[in-house]
Amino acid sequence: MDCAVCHNPMITLELDDVETDYCLSCRGIWLDEGELEQLLGDTQRALDLLGSFTAADNCTEELRRCPICGKKMEKVFVGPPAGQVLIDRCKKAHGLWFDRGELEAVLHLGRFDSEGKIPKLLGQFFKNPETKGNPAPS
Amino acid sequence: MWQQIRINKRNSLLLLMGMGTVLASLGFLIGAAIGGVEAGWIGILVASGIWLIMMLTSYFGGDQILLASSRAVAVTPDVHPQLFNIVEEMKIAAGLPKLPKIYIINDPAPNAFATGRNPENASVAVTAGLLARLNRDELQGVIAHEVSHIVHRDILFVTLAGVMLGTIVLISQLFLRGMFYSSLSGRRYSSRNSRDGGAQAILMLVAIVLAILAPIFAYLLYFALSRRREYLADAGAVRLTRYPEGLASALEKIAGTNINMESANKVTAPMYIANPFRGKKAAVNLYSTHPPIEERIRILRNMSHGAALADYEQSYESVTRKKGMIPGSALNDESVEIRAASADKRPVSESRQKREMGDLMRKVNGFSFLACPCGIKMKIPPNFPSGQIQCPRCSRVHTVDKGKIKTSA
Repeated sequence: MDCAVCHNPMITLELDDVETDYCLSCRGIWLDEGELEQLLGDTQRALDLLGSFTAADNCTEELRRCPICGKKMEKVFVGPPAGQVLIDRCKKAHGLWFDRGELEAVLHLGRFDSEGKIPKLLGQFFKNPETKGNPAPS
Repeated sequence: MWQQIRINKRNSLLLLMGMGTVLASLGFLIGAAIGGVEAGWIGILVASGIWLIMMLTSYFGGDQILLASSRAVAVTPDVHPQLFNIVEEMKIAAGLPKLPKIYIINDPAPNAFATGRNPENASVAVTAGLLARLNRDELQGVIAHEVSHIVHRDILFVTLAGVMLGTIVLISQLFLRGMFYSSLSGRRYSSRNSRDGGAQAILMLVAIVLAILAPIFAYLLYFALSRRREYLADAGAVRLTRYPEGLASALEKIAGTNINMESANKVTAPMYIANPFRGKKAAVNLYSTHPPIEERIRILRNMSHGAALADYEQSYESVTRKKGMIPGSALNDESVEIRAASADKRPVSESRQKREMGDLMRKVNGFSFLACPCGIKMKIPPNFPSGQIQCPRCSRVHTVDKGKIKTSA
């Protein structure tokens, strides 16, 4: 699967039964359909967050293509109106695309920091987001 | 057993002859309809030529055509050791002269098929979805079913008939479309030669009817025979594994998933262990490629006395209330006792199954797997441009060993 932004091949990361697709060059994250639900668990807060998706119709940000079906994705807002995060969603429900830092922001919205699984996998990605010397794929 | 194989071989020949006859008469009628009786003979010649070419190609390369059109990939034992182990086991149990080539199809729907020319040149293909869902006993049941198809010489029949059927459908389609377009361009044929215009019109009518009927007729023949073969392969599988419950619960799992196979089509459908197209619940009729899966499961579960062919026959008769279909001589087999279940009863969650299936597909597609000491597992695609990779979690730098897992295709 290729990155939706820079089109480099993405690698898949697995930790504690959670799988995500990750682009090493732009640090974007792709979650297949259902993986965000799996990440968040089925607490009330998670359900509230998942229910807060609203289409961003007059958005000027460049449209990305779904890495699975290649069709253009739509922009959606996540979270309460005060601190919305803009992410990309495949119209055919193949999954969600998070630019660098966006997944962290979404998780921050739901205050999931204390719930073990997510900080373990993702929290620690972001602990050193500016890692140097990563062999940049040419 | 030998009598059964002989009957199968004879049926294969009969079917091929029948198909040849259909093809030839179709050629004659189409030729005659277009240019009179003399052209009819040329039509036969052309049709026979096509038949011969198709038969030779399908005899020598049919398995490759079918495997390629199902997008099956040949794999080495390190991709799925258990699968190889089971195929080896069933090869010995069935007395095959050579280990069948093993293919995996990248499809989440659980299914399997066997193809090839003879037991020396056979292939078994299973989908990734099947491998992810079944435990060892169930997988053994499915492989035994496929190996039985190989032993019964069903594989050549299905391969030949599949290619043959494709040809008949192709010619009829060509003709029907040709008719459609030529009828748009006016009544040229009948006005040019008014003397035998009436005869030609009749021939034309017959040709149209035949062009419509031939594919239906061919499908019916093909499917009716392939249903009986499924029962026979089930009976053979039970005899090989001595464990009817394995295949029964495998069929149950296969029936329980409502995913259509993306890599199957109408012609390859009868090859699979279960009909690859579900979704709509079709009534069982002459047109269905497979016996109702529930009935196959009931027959298997009804076998309590033993696992010999005669036991299957008995169960078949009591469940379907029809006369049995296994040839007499095969029934005088030694008695076979049903064995106990094996220990492998892993209850796995659906998300884990999904992940295992994903990993299997990645292995088939040549991904490398890296386990970082920090606990993260990285799965790297074969087109990853760099030879080194830094763990996004702990910043350790790893070397990507691209030659580690390779498929043989």
